[in-house]
Amino acid sequence: MKIEIQITPHHIEPTHGFASEFTGVAGAIADFSGVVRGEENGEAIAALEYEAFSPMAENEMRRILASLAESFPCLAARVIHRVGIIPAGDIAIQVNILARHRDAAFATLSGFMNRLKQDVPIWKRRALPLRPPAAQHADKSAPAVRPHKHIPSVDEALEAIRSHVSSLHPVATQLEQAGGRILLETVYAQEDLPTTDRSTRDGFAILQGDSSPVFRVVDTLYAADWKPRQLKTGEAVRVATGSAMPCENLRVVMQEDVERGGDSLKILSPDSSDNVRRRGAEMSAGQPILTAGTRLNAGALSLLATIGCTRPKVSPRLKVLHFLTGDELVSPDQKPMPAQIRDSNSIFIRGCMQPFPAELRQQRLPEDFERAKTVVIDQRPGIDSADVLLISGGASVGDKDFTRKLLEFLGFQTVFQRVNVRPGAPFIFGVAGRRIAFGLPGNPLSHFVTWHAFVTVALARLTGGTPPVFSRGTLASDLPDAGSPRETLWPARCQISEGKLELTPLRWNSSGDVTCLADANALIRVPVNIAELKAGAPVEFTSF
Amino acid sequence: MHILLFAQIKDAAGVAELDVKISGQLNSSDVWKQIIASRPELAPYQKITRLARNGEYADSHTRFTDADEVALIPPVSGG
Repeated sequence: MKIEIQITPHHIEPTHGFASEFTGVAGAIADFSGVVRGEENGEAIAALEYEAFSPMAENEMRRILASLAESFPCLAARVIHRVGIIPAGDIAIQVNILARHRDAAFATLSGFMNRLKQDVPIWKRRALPLRPPAAQHADKSAPAVRPHKHIPSVDEALEAIRSHVSSLHPVATQLEQAGGRILLETVYAQEDLPTTDRSTRDGFAILQGDSSPVFRVVDTLYAADWKPRQLKTGEAVRVATGSAMPCENLRVVMQEDVERGGDSLKILSPDSSDNVRRRGAEMSAGQPILTAGTRLNAGALSLLATIGCTRPKVSPRLKVLHFLTGDELVSPDQKPMPAQIRDSNSIFIRGCMQPFPAELRQQRLPEDFERAKTVVIDQRPGIDSADVLLISGGASVGDKDFTRKLLEFLGFQTVFQRVNVRPGAPFIFGVAGRRIAFGLPGNPLSHFVTWHAFVTVALARLTGGTPPVFSRGTLASDLPDAGSPRETLWPARCQISEGKLELTPLRWNSSGDVTCLADANALIRVPVNIAELKAGAPVEFTSF
Repeated sequence: MHILLFAQIKDAAGVAELDVKISGQLNSSDVWKQIIASRPELAPYQKITRLARNGEYADSHTRFTDADEVALIPPVSGG
């Protein structure tokens, strides 16, 4: 039987089979991945640390496989065991067994794992808790939730969100899945780039300062060649654009500037430039390349690929659960009866979530607390594993507005249940440990405003991104009747005009007004009790 | 005799390796006597720990000499 054993400190990718020489002979391939679970003795853990007496462990594994082969003949077996700190969710052991028939493959796999756990000198040394012990202690001794006694202002509500929401635990993620996520570690260059001096022209490399009348061409390099040699005075090497230079202290004479006869070469016009991109010109080893907090766009991903950082630590995919309430709502593809309206909030949330790598689940809730309770009890595991719970509608204080009651039934503590803002005053924020919940007012405009003013800040905090902030701009047209005893977040169109950020307020009459939603890309802050704002007035705004 | 310590035994002794001078050929329990004489804090581990001689588990017939490398293997937990 062919046996391969490896003990490694590195990440293990799950594999299917191996030993392609048995293709057509093996009728059974048993692949097993032993994965570190996220809990140990009931406590959430971040990782396990393993230790091995490697030479003996390898021998023991080999011995066990050989002894099993006497009873269950197999064609090949490969075992890779990782040691050191292994994050939860990563593979600790990968086993691939190839046999002619499945009985032998299964028996070998199962027998091997059982005997590994008895005889192979590998130890789980310690579990690394998910959070530092100090933070855990603080969580238990003092409830982290600080409910608001009065109705908070916009600033107070934002501060409450910022102080209750922190970034989720980073996950090492393959580049293919990392697009759009937030980098949560600073990435440093592991090596110089370029790794050698490289030619930027098609031409001839010669020693710097070499003024020989005639050069002898001693070698030819193509773009992918790596042929180190120390050039001597009077020697030249033919290079292509991108060629790795054979040694340091060379320059490249462009091929247009030489006269060539067989192996000899004359330089016609002495060019002062080197035509060489020096080792480390782009980055040198140890230099920070991307800082924590960067959103990984296509350019950032290609930079990470260039430096070989293939599993950056990034924000996890958010798990978002959206409940929609409101018996008056019908699906957008239906014609509403006189007392009904089409549901626009579901597709709004889906659209808003698009920039966030997230799993979004959406579901209707009956507009009756007892019936809604039976639905959420049924959905409890999904609700408890969601990072963000959103409930649209039912946030006010009417008979059927049960969002707050429902959140508390689900274990959330209410931080505030109203904000001194219009539109969108009935806006609820609750927390349960690291999970957060929002109750958004069902009126589409209020829903729109509270999402952009508050929920986006929480999502940015959760993913480690940069939360939106208020900037300064200029009002493009008069805003009459602006005054209200509540601060107003006025939907507006933000554009750059003659180098200035100008805000055009959009018309809206009631919080059910939806015509301005498609045009709005900003919210203007209109302070409390202002009679009117004239065109040209400085305003604060947030844009999206 | 060169002795390698792992996992909780390494933690208890505070070192990963020990050297103990022995003469002649010793069986497992004699080796333990030498180890405990050198490191009394390891006495509680004798019952749960297997000895390996030069990378293979020892049994009741194994004899150890001063030239051997001995590993103290507490209960394993790999996989």
